[in-house]
Amino acid sequence: MAVFKINVNGKMQTIDAEPDMPLLWAIRDIIGLTGTKYGCGIGLCGTCTVLINGVAARSCQQRLEDIGAAKVVTIEGLAKTGLHPLQKAWIEHDVPQCGYCQTGQIMAAAGLLMQNPKATEQEIKDTMDGNLCRCGTYVRILDAVKSVSKGSK
Amino acid sequence: MNNLSRRSFIQLVARTGASFALGSFALIACASPKSSREQAKGESFSPNAFLKIDADGACTVTISRSDMGQGVRTTFAMLVAEELDADWTKIKVVQAPGDSTTYGRQGTGGSSSTRGMNKQLRTIGATSRAMLVSAAAKQWGVDASACKTENGKVIGPNGKSLGYGELTTAAKAIPVPEAVPLKDKAAFKIIGKRTNCVDSTDKVTGKAMYGYDVRVEGMLYAVCLRPPAFGATPSNIDDSATRKIAGVVDVIPIPSGIAVIAKNTWAALKGRDALKASWSEANAAVSTATLRADLKKAVGEHKEIPEGGKVIEANFELPYLAHATMESLNAVADVREGTAEVWSGTQAPDGAQAQIARVLGIAPEKVVMHTMLLGGGFGRKFSNEWIMEAVDLSKRVKKPIKLLWSRECDIQHDSYRPMSEHAMKAAVDASGAPTGWSHQYLQAPGRNGGNYGNNAYLPYDIPGAGMRSGGTGSPVPTGPWRSVEHSQIIVANECFIDELAKAAGQDPYEFRKKLIKNERLRKVLDSAATKAKWGETMPKDMGRGIACFEGYGSCIAHVVDVSTANGIVKIVRMVAVVDVGTAINPKGVEAQIQGAFMDGVSTALKAAITIDKGGAAESNWDGYDWARMSDAPKMEVYVEDSGASFGGMGEVGYPSAPAAIANAIYAATGKRVRKFPIKLEELV
Repeated sequence: MAVFKINVNGKMQTIDAEPDMPLLWAIRDIIGLTGTKYGCGIGLCGTCTVLINGVAARSCQQRLEDIGAAKVVTIEGLAKTGLHPLQKAWIEHDVPQCGYCQTGQIMAAAGLLMQNPKATEQEIKDTMDGNLCRCGTYVRILDAVKSVSKGSK
Repeated sequence: MNNLSRRSFIQLVARTGASFALGSFALIACASPKSSREQAKGESFSPNAFLKIDADGACTVTISRSDMGQGVRTTFAMLVAEELDADWTKIKVVQAPGDSTTYGRQGTGGSSSTRGMNKQLRTIGATSRAMLVSAAAKQWGVDASACKTENGKVIGPNGKSLGYGELTTAAKAIPVPEAVPLKDKAAFKIIGKRTNCVDSTDKVTGKAMYGYDVRVEGMLYAVCLRPPAFGATPSNIDDSATRKIAGVVDVIPIPSGIAVIAKNTWAALKGRDALKASWSEANAAVSTATLRADLKKAVGEHKEIPEGGKVIEANFELPYLAHATMESLNAVADVREGTAEVWSGTQAPDGAQAQIARVLGIAPEKVVMHTMLLGGGFGRKFSNEWIMEAVDLSKRVKKPIKLLWSRECDIQHDSYRPMSEHAMKAAVDASGAPTGWSHQYLQAPGRNGGNYGNNAYLPYDIPGAGMRSGGTGSPVPTGPWRSVEHSQIIVANECFIDELAKAAGQDPYEFRKKLIKNERLRKVLDSAATKAKWGETMPKDMGRGIACFEGYGSCIAHVVDVSTANGIVKIVRMVAVVDVGTAINPKGVEAQIQGAFMDGVSTALKAAITIDKGGAAESNWDGYDWARMSDAPKMEVYVEDSGASFGGMGEVGYPSAPAAIANAIYAATGKRVRKFPIKLEELV
């Protein structure tokens, strides 16, 4: 066990855990933020996506000991106040069905638009292909991201 | 009021599953201790276990069926709100715990929720509305018939109005009326309107709670090592490495495997991976190849087909399918002396409550079974065995236990959609009219059926059509998978009817249209063909396919365009026309049809569970391939109600989807599909 201090949603969190603990479980089990979900544990489904220094990352593949001073943002910290434009778009387009994958989808989209605010439809598909939705809400996810991206109105 | 005899009456009603007569509506109010307490406070009006109106006008509807993304929390609230004439913006929903005594049947599946409860829910809304109107009328000294309701208010003849919240105390004094009429469809203001899911905001902010999000003071985490082959048992268990892992608390063998108890999920997962055990040789010789061979051996004589005509035959092979819900199985159980509190996303919360009570030897009322949101169901989350594991562990460990089935546990220990073989034979005469149809439907596992029955699950008028169901042995655990037997039978039927059309020298749409018996199905087929511009010449390497299905009180037709350019199958466009009788929420229906189509794409082109050495070979999304955003075509979904009574729509969007894809691939390549998932090199 070791003590790690990591920045999550703008707040320093002290985590007493094994260095190899994936960020996903530190966020959920230790800090207690449960908006980030477990889907596969091997980085294939994107359900656990968070932002690390503004870049979308799979928290099941990030070890506590590798976070250092990086700024981690989870779904709970995506909007400073109220709802993020992506969250509003998700509601407007009535995207979620079971909803389980959607926080990961939104974080992946947020990461994409932070790096590429003018993402085209193809660029959106190329990135969002990494996030699995078992309910098949893809066409509405695409519409929601397009409605926020400045590059594909 | 003789509470004891009325309580027995309510239990009788619940057990027999009888629809709620108005008498029992009133009796629930008397017998439910919770609502009695609230009535004593004088703040809210709770005429029934399903509805509570607060002094501030908020109307809380209790939803007794599980929401797995099909939107029952929204549609059930809409049914009540409509007849109540509620202000939709003041509607809240809460989920009922597992308790069939209070809520009746809660098992959610078979696309049966709306069909099973629409009348009861509308009656609750209408009756409560009548009581509010009577209360207002009394206060104003006018006749109830002179009052109307609108958007959460009672409006009097004199222009006065009172919000429902202002009438809660007065309404409680009104005797429950008998036989309140329900609205005419023409008067619907909420039902039939495109409505956003009530849980959208929670689902996009991370506030929505699923089973594994629950936190209980003092809880420990559990993950199990499960057998590598179905039925294998462990021996020589070596947990020495596991126990050295920081955070691991204990290792407990249980009937279904070996549980690692730990202080957090990661320690439990690492502990599980560090376990060593020998496993018995159970079923090690069983594989997809042996199971398929057994199925083919079970194909027998076809039903007699009349002589003289064009006869065609084909065999279709369908694989095992895992449910692979996005949220893998999990439960939190807190078992104490004489009580238990449990949280899980289950399609059968009532069954869970009863089973937990039985196993612990306590009264059902001592078990609080919280029904969480389900991150997908598809039929997996009925059997509740993961809940019973968590309960067992909590009882042994004497602490609350949070149990996770890792993705590997979930895919390798599913209750799979059975593998099946479909031997088909049919004939048309010289004029192209069908003269016979024989379907041998064999699945593993399955009981040996025997004789041909007349129900061949065909919506077509084919003389002498018959299907025989049979099966072979298999150690692979199976269970209901979205649309159950339709996911196999209809896929084979809709592929083969296409081939029969070709044998008759006819267009597959025209051939079906002539034979369809159900007018509602013919209408959706016609509509889909029209909207998809059926009959157009398709570009090179592209094909258009059609298929249809009637079931669950609804009808649907799919027209799918595929491209097979460069040896890759790409679904380019889907047109679906669906008639669910009367759609409560057309937006929700569209979403279901889109989602079910993605199940069609995934199972037509990608997903299969193969059996190797007696166990599932696939363990995660790398082996069990599922559709991604790029696999989704342009989708046009048309909800075209016939006005028939509310039909089911959770499953209707699946069965004709893989067949329409297969038929489109034929149109593009001139070759037929015989195996799913489809590989272009395996077409015949």
